[in-house]
This record gives sequence, structure tokens and C-alpha cells, in this order.
Amino acid sequence: MRTYVLRRLIEIVPTILMITFVVFVMMRSIPGDPVVALLGDAYTEEDAVKVRTEYGLDKPILVQYVIWLGKLVQGDWGTSILSGRPVLKDVMVRFPVTLELIVLSMAVALAIAIPAAIIGALRQNTWADYSATSIAMIGVSIPEFFAGVLLLLIFSVAMHGTLPSSGWIYLPGTCPMLVCIGSVWGNAMHVLMPAIALGIGRAALLTRLLRASMLEVIRTEYVTTARAKGLAERPVVLKHALKNALIPTVTVMGLQVGFLIGGAIVVETLFAMPGLGTFGIDAIIARDYQQVQGFALITAFAFVMINLIVDLTYSVLDPRIRYA
Amino acid sequence: MSTVPDAGVAAVGALEAQSRSTTSESPLALALRRLRKNKTALVGAAIAAILVVVAIFADVLAPQSPIASDQRHTFETPSRAYPLGTDQLGRDMLSRIVHGSRISLAVGVASVLLALFVGVPFGLIAGFYGGRIDTVIMRVMDLILAFPIYLLAIILMVIFTPTAGLIGTIKVVGAIAIVRIPIYARLVRGSVLSIKEKEYIEACRALGVRDPSILFHHVLPNSLAPIIVTTTLGIATSIIVEATLSFLGLGTQPPTPSWGWDLKANVAFIHQNPWLSLFPGLAIFVTVLGFNLFGDGLRDALDPRMK
Repeated sequence: MRTYVLRRLIEIVPTILMITFVVFVMMRSIPGDPVVALLGDAYTEEDAVKVRTEYGLDKPILVQYVIWLGKLVQGDWGTSILSGRPVLKDVMVRFPVTLELIVLSMAVALAIAIPAAIIGALRQNTWADYSATSIAMIGVSIPEFFAGVLLLLIFSVAMHGTLPSSGWIYLPGTCPMLVCIGSVWGNAMHVLMPAIALGIGRAALLTRLLRASMLEVIRTEYVTTARAKGLAERPVVLKHALKNALIPTVTVMGLQVGFLIGGAIVVETLFAMPGLGTFGIDAIIARDYQQVQGFALITAFAFVMINLIVDLTYSVLDPRIRYA
Repeated sequence: MSTVPDAGVAAVGALEAQSRSTTSESPLALALRRLRKNKTALVGAAIAAILVVVAIFADVLAPQSPIASDQRHTFETPSRAYPLGTDQLGRDMLSRIVHGSRISLAVGVASVLLALFVGVPFGLIAGFYGGRIDTVIMRVMDLILAFPIYLLAIILMVIFTPTAGLIGTIKVVGAIAIVRIPIYARLVRGSVLSIKEKEYIEACRALGVRDPSILFHHVLPNSLAPIIVTTTLGIATSIIVEATLSFLGLGTQPPTPSWGWDLKANVAFIHQNPWLSLFPGLAIFVTVLGFNLFGDGLRDALDPRMK
């Protein structure tokens, strides 16, 4: 197990190098350069040359990438053109926001999907099943931003600002800045709508998937055996059926993380949250190379780490799966 | 709908693959009968068909110009003159939604077809020949898949620089198609790997049939069913991605009417004029739902084992 984890951790390095390199090249193939973002529209060619030299933009792309990597291993993620602050500092400030958003949206998805799928599978072809699957179909078809708008219409407009429509309050203890007010209640108020908006589509997807695999599992012989030996319905469903049915669901959840990172961009934009999503899109649009690289790096890292966690979860769900 | 003969081809293919199947009814009739019995699939097909009609006849159906602003009638509440009200420039919302269907449908269908025409040959070649060709093609596909779908589409759109009109639409189609190519390549490669071991392919080889002919006349028809289902569901996903890009300001640019863009523009006035952000969102939702329902029904009809 330990060697497996170690090997996987080593394998992360080339993946991250590849993703950051591709982003590096792609960003530099965008027409125009960050000089405009830095100097505005009115600048002399002399100033532009000076800035390009200062940021090393006059060197070949490969050399620029190696320089970026060299600084990175020393803990220097570069300086953001947009904010003028070190990129690493900004990433640290924004990371907790997006992490909380994604974790909670996954929790929302599971909290809806597991009961809905169990009801759907156990009462197949009854009204309960039909309503669970129909609602899931509707959920799959709602884009995050429209789910967010609907929530805004209900909780901020119709209910006159019961929930705040924008901004962020950190959870106490997660705030990385010196001056920062943390509040559990304030945080909950701010994260509720974004987490539901991002989680609802995933909930629908997982419901459909989990219902299908539950249907398959409850027809297997070991479930019949469990019932035949007189086990109560509850342990049969939760311990024997659900645990086995969860394996494909966990795989899809891992794959959905990439989607959630993208969805976070949309939801954070809608709710004006200071997370990594808005950090990334602002940087991409302004061609802030350093900030984009920081965003690509943290995203790629989160992506591969979560996939590792997913693979390790398999052996918890199914002890026959062992990693050597 | 044009999907009916396709469904037939796929069903024929499915039957060819299971050469021992003993049904007296033709597979086309069987698939059609299953599809016709599926009420939700028919609802989905109806929604999709209505949208196609709306998009084609947008000029006739829209009561007013979608881009002509009227400063005297900004933020009108829904009324007889403006059934869905007007936006901050006094443009008729109903007309904008009717015309917006064009971008959504055009991008949804075109991007999936483009991805299909590029992805399928790659998948066929990778699966059929294996070896180094397979490794090279699939590594490139994996690289694209390694990116979160929105993120790659966003970066591609910034590279292409969003513009208005037909050119702007083509750029969005290109960005979404690139993101979706690996899905088809993987799918086709998977079915080719299993089909190429079948006896009838071996028979073709023994008869001296050339590779391209085997690929297009025997292998491809037999992997059509999953391709058709993925394509229908893929249109729904592409419509969401298009709306998302527009919502982020990276889709087709104004004055071309787009649901995602309208939603974004109107959210700014959500407290004063809530209905404005509701309608474009509903339009996106209904369209996506239609294609999802139809795609689901097709899957059940073409492959009853999946149900």
C-alpha cells in the first residue's frame, strides 16, 4: 500500500509538468501580450520592451518555462500582473474558498443521490422511482448558472435577501490573511446557494448512476443469500448492496472533480466569490501569465490528488481490491 | 426526424453483431417500436423538433427585431405588446429568445458533428491498427481529457478571441468540438477493439477485403449504436457548454442574440427585474432537457440491455 501511494505520488510529477507546460504554451499563443494589461493602451514601444525584458517575455517559450519551473521549486510562483502580489499568496487566500465550495457541493450531491437512488432501486417502477428518476433528469439538464439564478430568485429576490447574493465570509480558522473576520454562520449563509447550485447537477447524475448499479447489485446472489439468512432489510441494503454499488459512483465522482473545478469558475463568477475560479478566469482574460500558471498548477495538483484519493477509496469499499 | 434511419442502421448493426439472434421482426421495426412506446423520449423528440422549427423560422416567428433597442420601452414588464418584457436596452425578450435558439442549436449540433467527424476516424484507426499509432493518438486524446472541460474551452476561446456573427459562432463550435473529440475517439476505439476479434472480420480478411473497406463497411456500422446515443446526449452537453461560455462573456459576442449572454446581462438586474433572468435560463433548460430525454430514449431503444 505504502509503495503504491509513493509510486502514484511520483507519477503526479510528469502529469503536472505536462499540464502546466501545455497551459504555458497555449497562453503564449493568445494574440497580444500582457504588456497591455500592465501599461494600459497608451505606452511607448520603449516601455513595452522594458517590461518584456523585466518579465522575461523576450526569451524563447521553452526558456521561459524552464525559468518558471526553476523559480517554482524555490517556492516562487511569480508575481501577478493583475494584483501585483506574489501568485502563491493569492492562491493561498483563494484556495480555501474553492475547496469548501467543491467539498460541500459534493456533500450536497451525495446527500441527495444516495437516498434517492436507494428509493428508486428498491421501489423500481413505482411512483417513488418515477419521481426520483424524473427529478434526476431535470437536475441533469440544469446548467450550474441557471440553478444559481433560480436560487437567487427564490432566496435573495422573493425572500428579500434571506441569503446574500454575493461575497464571502471565511470559516474561522481557514482565513489566511492577517485581518479577516471569520464566522461560522456568515460562512454558511454565503456558501449555501453556491454549493447547492454546483452540487445539484452532480446529485442528479449520481442518482441515475447509483440507481442503475443498485438495481444490478440487488439482483446478485449474495444479496439473495443475505436476505435468505434472515438479515434485516436495512443491513442488506446499506452494508451489502450500497457498498458494492458505490464503486462505479466513486469513479464517476473522481471524474466529476474536473467538471466541478470548471463549474466553480461559473458559480464563483455568478456569486462574486473570491475563489480560485474567479482568480483563474480573470487571469486568463487579462493574459496574466504568472497568475494563469499558478491557477493551472493548483488545479492540476488538486485534480491528480483527488484521483489518487478515489483510487484509494476503492480498497475501502471493496477489500478484494488491494494495492501493492 | 433524420434519426430514424440512423437508428435502423445501428439496430441492423447490433443484430449483425449478434448473428445468432432469432427475431422474426426487423431490427429497425423493433427499435422504432421501443422508441414509440417510450413516452418521455417522444416528449424529448417533440421539444427538439419544435426548437428546430423555431430556429429555422425565427425571422417569421419573432414579433420584433431581437437587436433593435428602444429607449422608450426599457425594462417593460411582460404585457401583450411584449409577452416576456424588454431588457435594459428596450429589446423584446421573446424575440431575443426565439433568435437565441439559433446559436444554441447551431453550436450544439455543429460542434458535436465536427467532434464526431474528427474523433471517429481517430478512434477507428487507433483501435484497428493498435501499436504505436494507437499509443500516439490516445496519449493526445488523454491530454485533452486531462483538462477540466470548461477550462480548456475557456482557454481556447481566449486564443480564438470571441467575435460576433457567423465567424464568432464558428469559433465557439471549434472550441467545443476540440474538447469533445476524445470522447468519440475513446468510444469508437473501445468498440473496434471488441469487434475486430469477431469471426466475420476474420472472414473479411480471409476474403481479401482491404482495410479501409473493413473499417467503414463492417467495423463502423457495428459500433454505430453507442455513437448515436452519445451524439444525441452530446448535443445537450454542448448546448450547456455554449451557454456557459456565453455566460462568462466568451461565446458569440453581441449583437448576436445568445441565451447565455442574455442571462449574464440580465442577472445584473435580478433584484429590479427578476423575470428577465428567468426566461433565457428556462430556454436553455428546456432545450437541454429535450435532447437529454430523447437521447435517453434512444439508448433504451437501441440497447434494451442498458435499461
